[in-house]
Amino acid sequence: MPLDPRDFPVEERSLPNGLQIRTLQDRSLPVATLYSFFRVGSRNERPGITGISHLFEHMMFNGSKRYGPKEFDRKLEAAGGTSNAYTSNDLTAYYEEFASDALPLVLDLESDRMASLVIDDTSLAREREVVKEERRFRTDNDIDGMMDEAMSSLAFLAHPYRWPVVGWMTDLDLISRGDCERYFRTYYAPNNCTLLLVGDFDRDDALTLIEKSYGHIPSGETLPLVATGEPPQKGERRSAIHFPAQAPAILVGFRGPDGRDPDSLVLDLIEAALSYGEGARLKRALVYGQELCVDAHAFFGWRIDPGLFEIALKLNPGADPAKAESALFAELQRVCDEPLTGKELSRAKNLVRANLLRGLQTANGKAQTLGQMEMMLGSWRALFDLPARYQAITAAEIQRVARKTFAPHRRNVVTLVPSEEAAS
Amino acid sequence: MSGPRGSGSSSGDVALPPLLIEREPSGLTLVAIQKRGLPLFHARLSLPAGAAGDPRGKAGLASFTVDLLRRGTRDRSAMEVDELVEGMGAQLNTEVAMDEAALGLTVPDELSAAALDAMLEVALEPSFPEEEVAMARRRMLSALQSDLDEPSVVAGRAVVTLGYGRAHPYGHPGAGFRREVETFQRDDVLAFHATRYQQAGAVLAVVGQDEPARLLSLMRAALSSRSWPSDARPPPLEFHAMPPPPGLRAVVIHKPDSTQAQVRIVSPGLPKNTSRYAAAVVANTALGGGFTSVLVDAIRVDRGLSYSVSSRLAMSRHAGLAIFASFTKNETLRELIDVALEKMRGFALTGPTSETLEKTRRYLAGLFPLGLESHEALAEQIADALLDGTGLDHLAKYRSRVLAVTPAEAAAAARDLSPARDGAQLIVVGDEVVARKCLEGLCGVEVRTLEEFG
Repeated sequence: MPLDPRDFPVEERSLPNGLQIRTLQDRSLPVATLYSFFRVGSRNERPGITGISHLFEHMMFNGSKRYGPKEFDRKLEAAGGTSNAYTSNDLTAYYEEFASDALPLVLDLESDRMASLVIDDTSLAREREVVKEERRFRTDNDIDGMMDEAMSSLAFLAHPYRWPVVGWMTDLDLISRGDCERYFRTYYAPNNCTLLLVGDFDRDDALTLIEKSYGHIPSGETLPLVATGEPPQKGERRSAIHFPAQAPAILVGFRGPDGRDPDSLVLDLIEAALSYGEGARLKRALVYGQELCVDAHAFFGWRIDPGLFEIALKLNPGADPAKAESALFAELQRVCDEPLTGKELSRAKNLVRANLLRGLQTANGKAQTLGQMEMMLGSWRALFDLPARYQAITAAEIQRVARKTFAPHRRNVVTLVPSEEAAS
Repeated sequence: MSGPRGSGSSSGDVALPPLLIEREPSGLTLVAIQKRGLPLFHARLSLPAGAAGDPRGKAGLASFTVDLLRRGTRDRSAMEVDELVEGMGAQLNTEVAMDEAALGLTVPDELSAAALDAMLEVALEPSFPEEEVAMARRRMLSALQSDLDEPSVVAGRAVVTLGYGRAHPYGHPGAGFRREVETFQRDDVLAFHATRYQQAGAVLAVVGQDEPARLLSLMRAALSSRSWPSDARPPPLEFHAMPPPPGLRAVVIHKPDSTQAQVRIVSPGLPKNTSRYAAAVVANTALGGGFTSVLVDAIRVDRGLSYSVSSRLAMSRHAGLAIFASFTKNETLRELIDVALEKMRGFALTGPTSETLEKTRRYLAGLFPLGLESHEALAEQIADALLDGTGLDHLAKYRSRVLAVTPAEAAAAARDLSPARDGAQLIVVGDEVVARKCLEGLCGVEVRTLEEFG
């Protein structure tokens, strides 16, 4: 079943300062969601200030010209709203979910911090500590986090995808107020931002309000070029982590295409065939069949530059990592050598399509999905082509892309070796 | 019973979508909810088969049973079940709470009949093959051991075990303990399924594009071809709350080489059907539920001690817990605990200020409709309201109840439901040496092993 654009009457506008605006009315419940997507993430950083994109995301909640420290969330919560944000390799997104009559306040809060964020040493010092705690939680004391970090550094030699979004601990200590101010001037201008507003509002009123709130903010300068070069990988790379753990784990990564490359959709289906549901190939073979793993899953996410197709194996305590690795490689080879059966291909397509639909159930989900399409595929309209594009993918294309991606010389392997104590 | 559709302002009550609720003579409740828009269909079956019903010495059996449902039915192997469900693009979700087990799946609307039929087949006619039981036991043991690598998971398991106490039906984690899972046999699973997967106390809810009457017919048609397990009744559960001993006591769960410690402070709370529900939620949200709450402000915003801070009320049908949760680096463990205790004790004495109370009421009222947006959330909220005995008014009147909470009610709830009140337990998952040193002079400390909670 295709997605009908008539069910998603998106209105597209832009302001003279370059701000892009997309609105989608849905009056079924008295709530709305506003996303502000900025085209800046860890790929826009440089060594020495890694993590600044994410640290800066925290700084955005610490006061602006008309709303002092702590006021952003106080005002918002008192009006029946909540806010949050996330930073990835490629983008930073801020969002508010709120009772629909809080829209004027939300737009005022968001536009004021875009126009006049206040960055001071005290709040920077405090947020630096909060981010370091986040790093300790998600990476330093978390096996998946430390393996992810090792994988990025192994698979990328030159590209900024090589460092973690949260940044290196030592760099977090070095980021200065001046670095933050330059970052804000460079990347937080309206011409580097797309607004997605979804939910219960009057469209004309909302557009008038947006223009009034953002129209006076000047455009920024041309964005600096990102050093996206990465030499071709010419052989398998390996890395080991020694850490106190109950069981070994393996993370395998293959460099893949960027999000706009048509092969990325083929990899989405391979991901589904290998990993979605209990009947997925990896689960069937490694978890249920050979009983080597507690969990086996694949992950491929669209990125602006060529990214990674990853497979994570959480082994059973005492299982032999070499055996699990061989079993995994045999499964990947099978995708290369044998076409998916008609049932398997249809299952993968149905799972991907249903996931897409389920993601569109809420105002937040619609705004997030349309924004991702805009940022990663170039336009929110890409959403409506996706079901047909997935449907057209053949078993032969799956094999072609699998052979290209899963070549042994493109392999990167991180192994967690359980040890008595952490390697320091 | 039905309700009109409609929306309103941010302070008016939210009308539920068109729905029909019918109670069958068997005790099964059918709920048909119409939700237009996306062409999706969702089915959810909630059964009185939660973790509270785990037999003594068999903690985790409810979870083990629900995981095994899809590993073969009377008519299909595990692989055939996977092909049937996932071929439709669905993923069959299963969950076990203290009071219920639930299965749910969401599919494109045109597959509604097939999806509903598949879910009922899995739930009601599993075959529990011997070899699948043995494999599932090995998987569960491995998963429980792996969970010990995650300090926040260990902390969560310790909260229910210590918070309720092992003698309480809620006093164990849903996934159980390895030492008890090792004893699970096929007969245990068969007996649990036969006595707990009952129509009495079960709710089958569906959400789809069709009118409620048509959805009701769809459910009746699907049920007509399925047989339920025997109607043998399980033994009743005894819910006796043990009064906590006075003072504060600490349990340190030793996780070597941690550079960060997980902290929980837990006290008894309230069951979900309490008449004080709205006041309790308002008071707890003001304390540690939103980004501007007392605890987040003091610990994260003012001091930068942690990335995550919260207080929450875990409410089940017969009892609940009040829980403080955070984490911090080893060097600031004592500071975080001191600040948390001081702020929680202070809040218990004063309750929220009038400004905070007003902000919190509006915050909760404004965000409430978000919990009714998706098909899955709608089915779960309505099924839970019926099962918990709170009724649809729990949802339909939520906003007006929250907005009507008075300063006196909020202050009383703040006093009675503080996680840090007399008798509280402080749980630290981290390095034993670091934690012992940090806790010196605060309270008595007992050190436990990770394995005890795995």
